[in-house]
Amino acid sequence: MSESKSEAGLLVYILPFLAIVPLMHNQGWDSSEAAILIVAVPFVTFPVILVVGQLYNGHDTWKNKLKEGGILALGALGTSLSAALWIIYDYFDALPDFGDQHSISQWLEWVSFDLLQSDYTLTSETNILGVGVWVDSVTLMLLFVATFLCFLICWFSLGYMNTDPINEDRNHRFYGEFVLFALGMFGMVLADNFLWLFIFWEIMGLCSYLLIGFYYWKESAAYAAKKAFLTTRVGDVFLMVGLFMLYDIYGSLEFSVIFHDPSLHGAVDSAQLFWALLMMFIGAVGKSAQFPLHVWLPDAMEGPTPVSALIHAATMVNAGLYLVARMVPFVDVGHHGVPGLEDLGLIVAYVGGITAFMAAAIAFVQNDIKKVLAYSTMSQLAYIFTGLGAALWFYNHDEHHAAVVVFGASMFHLFNHAMAKGMLFMASGSVIHEVHHAHDHLHHGHGDHGHFDPQDMRNMGGLASKMPITATAMMVGSMSIIGIPLIGGFWSKEGIIAETWLAALDHEPLMIGPAILVILTAGMTGFYMSRMWFMTFAGEPKSDVVEHVHEATPWIKEPLIVLTVVSALGGIAFALLGATDYLSSSYGDAGHLKLHESTLMESVIYQLEHAFLPENQNLRLVGWTTILLSFIIGPVFAARIHGGPLSEGESATPAVSWLVRISGKFGSQDVSSLSESDLAEALENRLYFDDLYEGLLAKTVLPMASFAAWFDRNVIDGVIKQIESNSVSGSLQIRTITTGSARDYILMAVVGMLSIIALIWGISS
Amino acid sequence: MINDPLSVITLVPLAVGLALLIMPKILSSAEGLARASRAISMGVALAMLAITTMIFLGEIGSIDWTDYGSGYSLTNESFLLIPSIGVSWSVGIDALSFPMVWLTTLLIPVSMLVEWDAKKGHLFHPLILIMEGALIGVFVSLDMFVFYVFWELTLVPMFFLIMVWGGDDRRYASMKFFIYTFTASVVMLIGILVLYLYTPDVAGSGTITGHTFDLGVMLSSASSIPSEGLRHLVWIMLLIGFATKMPSVPVHTWLPDAHVQAPTAGSMLLAGVMLKMGAYGFLRIAVTALPESTMVFIPLLIFLGMVSLVYGAWVCMGQTNLKRMVAYSSVSHMGLIFLGIATMQPLGIAGALFMMFAHGIISPLLFAVAGAFKHHYHTLEIGSMRGIAHHSPWMAGHMMLGWMASLGLPLLAGFVAEVTILIAFWMSFGWLVMLPALTLIITAVYYLTSMQRTIFESNDPHQGILPDSLHGEDPSDITWHENAGMLILGALTVLFGILPFIFWDMMSDWSSGFMIDVLVQAMESEGVNP
Repeated sequence: MSESKSEAGLLVYILPFLAIVPLMHNQGWDSSEAAILIVAVPFVTFPVILVVGQLYNGHDTWKNKLKEGGILALGALGTSLSAALWIIYDYFDALPDFGDQHSISQWLEWVSFDLLQSDYTLTSETNILGVGVWVDSVTLMLLFVATFLCFLICWFSLGYMNTDPINEDRNHRFYGEFVLFALGMFGMVLADNFLWLFIFWEIMGLCSYLLIGFYYWKESAAYAAKKAFLTTRVGDVFLMVGLFMLYDIYGSLEFSVIFHDPSLHGAVDSAQLFWALLMMFIGAVGKSAQFPLHVWLPDAMEGPTPVSALIHAATMVNAGLYLVARMVPFVDVGHHGVPGLEDLGLIVAYVGGITAFMAAAIAFVQNDIKKVLAYSTMSQLAYIFTGLGAALWFYNHDEHHAAVVVFGASMFHLFNHAMAKGMLFMASGSVIHEVHHAHDHLHHGHGDHGHFDPQDMRNMGGLASKMPITATAMMVGSMSIIGIPLIGGFWSKEGIIAETWLAALDHEPLMIGPAILVILTAGMTGFYMSRMWFMTFAGEPKSDVVEHVHEATPWIKEPLIVLTVVSALGGIAFALLGATDYLSSSYGDAGHLKLHESTLMESVIYQLEHAFLPENQNLRLVGWTTILLSFIIGPVFAARIHGGPLSEGESATPAVSWLVRISGKFGSQDVSSLSESDLAEALENRLYFDDLYEGLLAKTVLPMASFAAWFDRNVIDGVIKQIESNSVSGSLQIRTITTGSARDYILMAVVGMLSIIALIWGISS
Repeated sequence: MINDPLSVITLVPLAVGLALLIMPKILSSAEGLARASRAISMGVALAMLAITTMIFLGEIGSIDWTDYGSGYSLTNESFLLIPSIGVSWSVGIDALSFPMVWLTTLLIPVSMLVEWDAKKGHLFHPLILIMEGALIGVFVSLDMFVFYVFWELTLVPMFFLIMVWGGDDRRYASMKFFIYTFTASVVMLIGILVLYLYTPDVAGSGTITGHTFDLGVMLSSASSIPSEGLRHLVWIMLLIGFATKMPSVPVHTWLPDAHVQAPTAGSMLLAGVMLKMGAYGFLRIAVTALPESTMVFIPLLIFLGMVSLVYGAWVCMGQTNLKRMVAYSSVSHMGLIFLGIATMQPLGIAGALFMMFAHGIISPLLFAVAGAFKHHYHTLEIGSMRGIAHHSPWMAGHMMLGWMASLGLPLLAGFVAEVTILIAFWMSFGWLVMLPALTLIITAVYYLTSMQRTIFESNDPHQGILPDSLHGEDPSDITWHENAGMLILGALTVLFGILPFIFWDMMSDWSSGFMIDVLVQAMESEGVNP
């Protein structure tokens, strides 16, 4: 107890950071000016942590008081969070005055230049690639998600990282890179143009590389880090070319210029714009780990668990979604968008649908608790892509109402997923940490390290009674991901699935592909998330380690509790406040977070009616099918295979106990024959995509590189050497006059030059 | 003296360097000089840096850097050196040459710092000082004869640096370096002499020849060469000299050998400044004198640039020697400069100029890291030493920063150059941009693979995998002066990545002026569309 008290006392050190924003407010600063703090404070903190950490490594104050930089990182992220909250508050406060629902402030002319026009004159006005801030409803939501989760994950890391002896004297690297990662996301969300969006986007790529490779000595970690960077880099290059094309079309990359009138009175060639947006979408596919550039995300689990939480919930993967969300103004024909881009929506939806289904299928057979979550991330992000694809399609067909609903639902799902997934990763980290700890405790001195995998769910089971908080948290998080009615992700996922079906049934038959895939995936999600939870927390313990697990590490519980509440209630709360409409308000529609009806009760009834009894009969059918699949069929199958009551005499929190008891009532099913099938093997090998890519690279790139090196050495340089050896007698003579003296060389040069002058002069005159 | 700072920064390092080399040999009483020569060299180098920085800040000459129309600044009253053939001493700078001059004065003290404990330091540091004078001379001289003398003079100290302080194969490398680039320069010289012979008889022309080596006169009278074929031939001869220096495929093979054998400071200067002489000379002389020929040969420029960039990257990927890989990456990056110029857009040319500068601070960092690697682990094989992150966290950090900067990570200097060149390239050549863009992936592959096998992968958190070349001894950590040198370069890489406009604005202005002044007419007459 005293230990945790002294740990809590360390929070005093972050107070100066938290005081910055109130002080600025007192000094009469504007919140949009404070936006720079969100990026600048972490930016200053990052080198400080790295350098000070390197210099004072192992020093007592640094290690115990500042937690090897963790407290500084927490303070910096606290500043960002408070500044973000200030902006959010100001935005709502001033909303009636926000004509276009966004505020901009331009700070800097970063790079300015002229262009030569086709009449051989320079552009009269200098072109500028600038830096500034853009705030609208999507920005605010993502800003909140990023700052809030980064703060909580950093808090969690203080417990997770600093108590692991393997990290000793290395954590300053972790916190420094963590802060840089966070600022990358903050900057990307705030940027007011595509170039700076890309710049921060790449910073995140760097940080994912550094953090996935945090355990630098592990070959698997080094490989995974490289894989993540290179795979996303492939996408990034396409994104970059897309931006060049966009610049060529609009002469600017600023949102305020482009979004104002993307069609430029019909002057824009829709084919070129289509290609530009498609190239940008490839970048988003890489960053958000969608098919076919998805291979890096599961391997990214090589990093420490807080990094997984950071990548999967707070930052990196949301970047791709954000980019696609920013494509809406181009296609929104109701607001000067360019018609003829509906194929883009279809492509996005198909990529989403395929990824959702594929990732969910692979998640069926994973035994590593973090891998299940990784594939779940891929699958859930794919939902959002499908929704955004449908939204793009609707916008481009001027189906404004449907577009608004599905776009809002997609963004809302991003919020729900981020909150739940951030918490799930931290909870899984808590499980891994404690299991690892218990194993060390139990087998201390036995020397059988290395065989035991603390992430393998086959070593767990029955943890519900040992880790009540974690078990409850994970239960709520899983329910939110599955979309159990009324909880978290239910409110957004329903919208995505329903509107995709609407598009397929009423408008575009080709949309049926993604529509079928996402509804199947809903049931599969129910299965694999339940399976994960039951394998970990229900049933009898599957190894002797479980007996020794305790929830004892400080700093770990608080973020879990906070996020459990947010995941459980955030969905319904924001649904009541009209989050869907609000989140679509970025592009031209007025929107405000407020109750739909005048009283709370009426609003609740309205929302429930909306969710469960939509007027369109088809949608009602789709909705109930989804609920049946995800709520009943998936979890029940999981319970039959992996469920079961706890051992005698073990107890857990009420909700968890109830769930565990229920899970034992569906009988049990043996699936060992199924798990040995070819399909299961293919799934375990991730459908052979990694093998395919690696094989392809090994057969093409590596030989070609070796050949290029050989060619350069033996052919190009060989020719030179041939000339050299042919004139060997000449070079021997040169050697005799190579005295090694500078003066001689200068003399030779001058004499040589003069004689050539004389020669040519003689000829010409 | 005060009125002519450019002559000062050119001649003082030369004079002091020569004096420090020769005096102790001649005067026995000056033996103390040998001991102090390291400090004196550093002092002079820092003084030169101070002067160029003050020129930039306007403390000297109060130059408006974003005013192309003002022409050369800080020019002296030229006086005839060799009246008989019209050679005069005349210097000046503009926005094209100044960043290179500043870069030179920066890199000289930094490379001295990195090799602060070089063997035979009383010779080493003065040689670098001579190098400084020669390099600055190339960038500031406004007389083609003097330009050429400095151009060749740079070879001499570099030759000795490789010959005396180089690796095992230094004899071959230094010879190859000298003869290879010298031969190319002689071809270039013939081109220069043809230009010379077509200069009119003006004030300052040679009393015997009736021609002048004055840069301005030579450049403007080039169009009076009557035969188009001869003009093209001159352009090609100039290109051969400059492209070899840059270097561009297929005349690049001197570079890897020279780099691998050169001492760290030599590599830093070679990659940092000497390669830029090629691009500088190309723009200053070949393009300016013969814009019509430039238009005709745009496809050749694209071809050379593209081959250097793409092929260079592939060759990089096939290397197993760290320093060789870094050397080839220079070939690859220099390809972008040709591509930038070929766009015939102010944006692309400014991007090429920024590339010259950015590469000038990034590649010395790369070579400083590679040099320290060799120095402390006695090997350059990628993969023989793993787990640097444990053994030398500082070096691992510098390596990470340098490698990332070189592969074009945003907020580091190289990105600005890459992105501006490629935007302009898209505007001029459309989908052809995919080739350089996809090469960025290859660049990332070779850099990341080399880091994976050096910084990472030691299999043990408390131990690296040590190379055989250490014979079981523990490797030493990098020294304070190596660390300091890398820190300076790293900090500048970040600074110019975040605030590129420090130099970008003047480059952009120069490019726009250059387009209108020199290129637009040629573009129109040759039918090159912007």
